[in-house]
Amino acid sequence: MSSDTALIGVAPPQVRFYPERADRDPQWLDELGESALRALSQPLRATSAPFRVWYDLLRINRISRRLRELSDADFEDEIRRARVRLRRDMLSNRSIWLGIALTRETTFRTLGLRHHGVQVRGALAMLRGSLIEMDTGEGKTITAALAAATAALAGIPTHVITVNNYLAERDANTLSQIYERLGLRIGVILEDMKPDDRRQVYRADIVYASNTEIAFDYLRDRITFGREGPRGTRAKLRRVAQPMATENPVMRGLSFAIVDEADSVLVDEARTPLIISRQSDPEAEAVWTRVALDIAQALERGKDFIVIGDERRLRLTDRGRTTIGKIAAGRSGIWESPIRREEVISQALSVLYIFKNGEQYLVNDGKVQIIDEYTGRLQPDRSWSDGLHQLVEAKENVEITGQNLVMARMTYQRFFRRYMQLSGMTGTAREVKGELHSVFGLATVRIPPHRRSRLRFRRPRVFRKTSQKWKFVAQEVAREVSLRRPVLIGTRSVAASREVSAALELAGLAHEVLNAETVAESARIIADAGKTGRITVATNMAGRGVDIALEDEVVKAGGLHVILTERHDAGRIDRQLAGRCARRGEPGSFSTVLSLEDPLLDVIEAPVLKTLAQLPYITIGLRLRLFDRAQKRAEKVHARARRDLVRQDRRLNQLLSFAGGME
Amino acid sequence: MSAQRNWTSASWYRVSDFRPRLRRHARIHRHLYRGDVWHVLQDRASGRFHRFRPAAYRLIAMMNGTRTLEEIWEHAVDKMDIDAVTQDELVRLVGQLYSADVLTGDVPPDIIELSDRGRRTKRSKIIKSLINPLALRVPVFDPNGFLNATMPIVRPLFSWFGWLLFFGITAYAIVLAALSIEVLTENVADRVLSAENLVLLLIAYPLIKAFHELGHCYTIKRWGGDVHEIGIMFLVFMPVPYVDASASIAFQSKWQRALVGAAGILVEIFLASVAMIVWTGAEEGLVRAFAFNVMLIGGISTLLFNGNPLLRFDGYYVLCDLIEIPNLGQRANKYLGYLVQRYVFGSSYAESPVSARNERSWFVFYAIAAYIYRLFITAAIIGVVATRFFFVGIALAAWALFLMLIFPILKGIWFVFTSPTLRRKRGRALGATGIFVAGLATLLLVTPVPHNTLAEGIVLPDSGSYANATADGIVEAVYVSEGQIVAAGAPLVGLSDPLVSARLELVNARIVEIERRIAAENLFDQTAVRIMEEELKAAQADRALIRQRIAEMIVRAPASGKVILPVSTDLLGRFAQRGDLLAVVARFEDPVVRVVVPEAQADLVRSGTQGLGVRLSSNPDLTYPASVSRTLPGLTRALPSRALSTEGGGRFALDPATPRDQNLALEPVLLLDLTLDAAPQLSVYGERAYVRFSHGETPLASRIYRAGVRVFLKYFASLDAGV
Repeated sequence: MSSDTALIGVAPPQVRFYPERADRDPQWLDELGESALRALSQPLRATSAPFRVWYDLLRINRISRRLRELSDADFEDEIRRARVRLRRDMLSNRSIWLGIALTRETTFRTLGLRHHGVQVRGALAMLRGSLIEMDTGEGKTITAALAAATAALAGIPTHVITVNNYLAERDANTLSQIYERLGLRIGVILEDMKPDDRRQVYRADIVYASNTEIAFDYLRDRITFGREGPRGTRAKLRRVAQPMATENPVMRGLSFAIVDEADSVLVDEARTPLIISRQSDPEAEAVWTRVALDIAQALERGKDFIVIGDERRLRLTDRGRTTIGKIAAGRSGIWESPIRREEVISQALSVLYIFKNGEQYLVNDGKVQIIDEYTGRLQPDRSWSDGLHQLVEAKENVEITGQNLVMARMTYQRFFRRYMQLSGMTGTAREVKGELHSVFGLATVRIPPHRRSRLRFRRPRVFRKTSQKWKFVAQEVAREVSLRRPVLIGTRSVAASREVSAALELAGLAHEVLNAETVAESARIIADAGKTGRITVATNMAGRGVDIALEDEVVKAGGLHVILTERHDAGRIDRQLAGRCARRGEPGSFSTVLSLEDPLLDVIEAPVLKTLAQLPYITIGLRLRLFDRAQKRAEKVHARARRDLVRQDRRLNQLLSFAGGME
Repeated sequence: MSAQRNWTSASWYRVSDFRPRLRRHARIHRHLYRGDVWHVLQDRASGRFHRFRPAAYRLIAMMNGTRTLEEIWEHAVDKMDIDAVTQDELVRLVGQLYSADVLTGDVPPDIIELSDRGRRTKRSKIIKSLINPLALRVPVFDPNGFLNATMPIVRPLFSWFGWLLFFGITAYAIVLAALSIEVLTENVADRVLSAENLVLLLIAYPLIKAFHELGHCYTIKRWGGDVHEIGIMFLVFMPVPYVDASASIAFQSKWQRALVGAAGILVEIFLASVAMIVWTGAEEGLVRAFAFNVMLIGGISTLLFNGNPLLRFDGYYVLCDLIEIPNLGQRANKYLGYLVQRYVFGSSYAESPVSARNERSWFVFYAIAAYIYRLFITAAIIGVVATRFFFVGIALAAWALFLMLIFPILKGIWFVFTSPTLRRKRGRALGATGIFVAGLATLLLVTPVPHNTLAEGIVLPDSGSYANATADGIVEAVYVSEGQIVAAGAPLVGLSDPLVSARLELVNARIVEIERRIAAENLFDQTAVRIMEEELKAAQADRALIRQRIAEMIVRAPASGKVILPVSTDLLGRFAQRGDLLAVVARFEDPVVRVVVPEAQADLVRSGTQGLGVRLSSNPDLTYPASVSRTLPGLTRALPSRALSTEGGGRFALDPATPRDQNLALEPVLLLDLTLDAAPQLSVYGERAYVRFSHGETPLASRIYRAGVRVFLKYFASLDAGV
């Protein structure tokens, strides 16, 4: 440091890069033009793509052959030289070839696996910003390593995003040897990390993290940036003036992301936005909730308010309004405003007359816990907004907690669009291809399987009663186990996995259960799931992305048998379960066992079809069609919810654009 | 309860510490609308205006960059009426102001966002003009300097002297117009739409409109406003100048605002008046024709279009200013929409646009009247254009039909099916719409309505009144004059045939000769005498015949009545063949109406006629009952009169391949003779008669079916033929 700067006492602040893509909210005309352009250029690209891929593979294989000949010491030298070249060239065609060949060779020298041609193709597509659809069991994790390592070698901070922390940790552990050999630092974001630790992890070249962790880290960064965003002039000046006082962001921006199980992350989970909130003062909450309940209790049903049928809504009458006005007279604060107090009293009334313990919520050791109306599961971490939760707490006479006040809110769609380059991989993308393109600008590239699949689908069975279904499942499991094959039973919810477990116990079959409650043991359970005669019950979410390694004996016996016991909201998720077996060209079989009492059928109203489906024997086609229809309908509902979310987000952003880059 | 107002805003956390500041180019004016105070915010950069309630204005006035929104809102809760403004409304207000470019914040504005917004506005303008190519606007220049320089010349007109001049000339012109109203209105459409006149019209129109726009400009200048945009608008592809007169909204007095709007109309009326005076005085020629066009544009266009408040031109803005309801048209439509949503669909989310007393009735009246008037005027324009330029007319009609009927219907359907405000009420909305549509369909398809066939015919005397030439001959004498009343048997026309009298003499001579020869032979040969006696008899009979023919050379009246001589002028000396019509003696009492019915309706008329009504073109107010006296058994192509062909003003096209005088129609027709039940006193024969065959009352559905069957008759027929 020169004496001049020392005199002034100002150290030059570190240059900070925080790359992210600017939001663009296309109008309908843009979208129209884009889709027209796409339609025009599509044939051209489709015809040229095979040649390009062929040429790329040719060049990569040529480098691979050269690398294969090198001794370990020479290879180390080669890595060192290549790193410099890649750093200099960034992601050019040449550096991509070199990076992929280098990573491929490193993988072989560390893990003893060599990437297939199709895996190389997948990595190429991802490095060029596409989403690849690759059959389950084709080695997506290792394909991601090719792309991640190449990008990281080129000096691009790379995020590999998974669906949960377990997978992030597992993938990082599996691949760390390769990265270390290449001289790349790797980091994993875990749930309970402190911000400073996270900052350290994000400095790594490759970061493995679950989608929620990474999105929340970004959102927290946005809060520290304030309204001006990362590139705000004032913030820059403040950093010069008071280098110590400003808080540094945790992340290094959004450069390049590889999203594993992209359909799940980008589509299924994108239905609810991310929200960061802070707690309000519980004592203040206690005061107004008491008053609100008192007033609400003084109102007369039918005269002051009307409960509207089974809609679970109620409406204040004009008389009710005047009554509230009379009672509230003299109180200050929120009670002065007719609009506000009527809102509050309406809420209090619905808490008194519509919400019931055991239906919408459950009081569990002094806490009010929400019951998910769709799955019927308890959701201890969630709470209702706008004071509703506090009113319920006051009604049940438990300790009143603070309200969650929103500090930042962001949709996954907006978050992932901000990556400078986004890519992803999944086993099932066909159905959501259009959505992925229109929302994220991701083109879907289908990567053919390396070996033909040996998965056998069995004829689906649909029973009338759930009890019949479980009985049949137990029978089938017993049959397969007697053939010395392992069986994986997929369920939709934790409750269902318990039911299966009970049915198996009744039949005297020993089994393991893998669900949200047994996450801790998941590694062990999965490691054992491929052993002879092993029975594993897994919820879909818990079983996702795991690779069940089979014993040789099992492969000979016909591989893993998977039973789907309930169709999901999307056909994609069903297919993912099927992808648990017959991986890497191994044999495997898949059967579907359903019952007409499955909750999926509640989605549609088809009284005639449903009655007809009750007839025995001949109606299997009809029953399956009923399920197809329900699934289609559920898919449509979810797609619309997502579209509405994006649209609403866009509109809100336009309206609030004056507030700057706050989220 | 009207629309739900939310006290809190879910996005408050994003905006609460934002410090809004009103930009310097925004001006705020205080206006009174129907007794209420409103504040009109004028954005002088973009020329846009926003209207706010005093409550909102108070909040806006606090936005000076030192207070955060949180502070402003707290102040509002603290000092103002508690429910005057909710958080949600405040956020929306700020958003609205920001997107109107009159607000900045404490953070330096995001350049990218700003330019992006500018680009978006520009593009939406282009899209708007592309979507509606009938009203394209191209700004040309800023006339402010020019107006400032020329204002001293015009200023004297804004005075009592100006009004006096205006009313004097206008009154004089109105008197002149009243005096020559017949000449003026005679055959207007043909005169206006002739090719030469259209050229004149095209020249006159932009000129007049230029003066019109200058009228607006100078009136704005008179009260100190600025005009910064003058340009060319392509109204239905016709270039017309326009000015941006939005500066007038800043004027405090509604009379001043109204006068700015009315200035154009006044200028046009003045020009039309001057043109009227010129037209009366000038000789036939270019100047007179031009004056006529100026009058036409200034008078008609002002009355029907520009000055009419039911269309969105100047008159509309004048009305809006005078009754103090800004945006009358838009809000009127919105109000009707609100009424339907609120009371028919039962949606409680619908927001009423009513903001002052007595606006309701204006809204209802205006929305309905304007729509009907627009339909009417469009139909009229299309009608006039289509008579001259058929295809242009059809194209216009299709466009108008789409814009005025189909597009609103589609929009309505879209709304009913997708609008989020109808959530939970969609069933009712669909039901109400369904009932309405079903009701309309029943009305149209099931309710019986009178079913008639209209045909044209010609009035003829009845068959007993024709006096035809009974023999060949030259007309020698006409004993009667046209219109003379004669009794049956009275001589009408005398014919002469020299050949006949010669033959009479010849026969006479022959008889004499035979008589002489009989006398000579009498004694000797009885047989020869017998033969000659027979010859004599024959000669005598021949003479009788010739005599009778001579007697017939006088044509007599077949009945008593009034004489009509169809070819009276050159009747004398004319050769008439036996059977030629020489005169008609008619009583003008019970005429025959020969009706021509096109083939398509022949069957219906023949078998399904329940009543008949005839109107004569000489007296179209009276309908005579009639009955069919004779139906020609087959279809024919011969028309009874040229008057029924398209060339004579009728409906039937003549076959161009046949000689003109044969009157052969292209399509076969059915001929019917009708006798009128209560025979009127006729003045002429050969006049056109309009006949209505009534088929009772049938629903439209059966008629549509019938028409459909006829269209596809070919296919049905060929099917039968195949069998």
